[in-house]
Amino acid sequence: MAELTADQLTAPAHDDHGHLSVEDSNNNLKLGVWLYLASEVVIFSIMIVGYVLLRINEPDVVAEAHEQLGVGLVTANTFVLLASSFFMVMGLRAMQQGNRAGMLRWIGLTALGGIVFLCGQYIEYSELSHLGIVLGYDLESQWSTLGMRFYAPTFFHGAHVFVGVLWALEVMRRGAKGRYDNNPIGIEMFGLYWHFVDVVWIMLFTLIYLV
Amino acid sequence: MAQATHHEDGHHSNTVTLRGRQITVEGGIYTVVFVALAILTVIEVLSAEGLKAAIYDNPDAAAALEAIKAALLLIIAVIKSTLVIWFYMHLRDEHPLLAVVLLLPLLIAGLSILYLLAIPPGGYSL
Repeated sequence: MAELTADQLTAPAHDDHGHLSVEDSNNNLKLGVWLYLASEVVIFSIMIVGYVLLRINEPDVVAEAHEQLGVGLVTANTFVLLASSFFMVMGLRAMQQGNRAGMLRWIGLTALGGIVFLCGQYIEYSELSHLGIVLGYDLESQWSTLGMRFYAPTFFHGAHVFVGVLWALEVMRRGAKGRYDNNPIGIEMFGLYWHFVDVVWIMLFTLIYLV
Repeated sequence: MAQATHHEDGHHSNTVTLRGRQITVEGGIYTVVFVALAILTVIEVLSAEGLKAAIYDNPDAAAALEAIKAALLLIIAVIKSTLVIWFYMHLRDEHPLLAVVLLLPLLIAGLSILYLLAIPPGGYSL
């Protein structure tokens, strides 16, 4: 995304060259992120409904998978992601207060939360593969219908967490150079993405692991 | 959750009003929301496990208990999601257009899901 120049940051609402004010520019950037997130809602919804249909049509398979897996690890992972969302919003708050060091600390914790979440997901996938719950379609396996319906939404979400971790590191790199000292919109945009990933997990956790 | 507001410079205040009482907490409303999310998650997991045991013990009432379990857990999940969107994503401070941007695809997805759920497991016989 384009960074605002120093001239743009101090410009009036519209200058002679037709540049937008900082506030207008920020609002446009936020609208762009919200529109992107809206498209993600549709993609995740499709994957979720695929799982819900399986849950309704083959309740015994899902119940057996729940029995085998338990909820301990995934609950811990959920707390990690919720905490990382809290760290994220505290990082934005710190930058809005002019506390660059605090922002770097909080965003660093956010990235760490994402990494821990991905490690937890790796452990969970390893356990699942030992149980025979894999992506491949095997008519001999009772899990053949579950694999794809489970992995599609959870792996797609995990990929979003991975991208989020990279984005957090980039925000830290830019933040350390003072890029957000006058206008933290870059942090706010990353925050919208990260919180959305958290919201998706809240729904996945309930629908896939608890219901 | 108790009705919560925050004071003075909004996002930067550490003072929060809960049910008419002012409390000071580091992080203000953000910390309160995080605690609420954590408590709701604990309630969610305990409810799911408790109802799972009840379904196992009462097979005759399994269908009703399953429905109660699904409804209860989904309500909690929606409350948690709303808290994150409203407070952490600052939707309450934004132009209402952003709420429409979020709700429109949810509405379309919801209608699509209802349509898909109506299809028989074996498909339509022509």
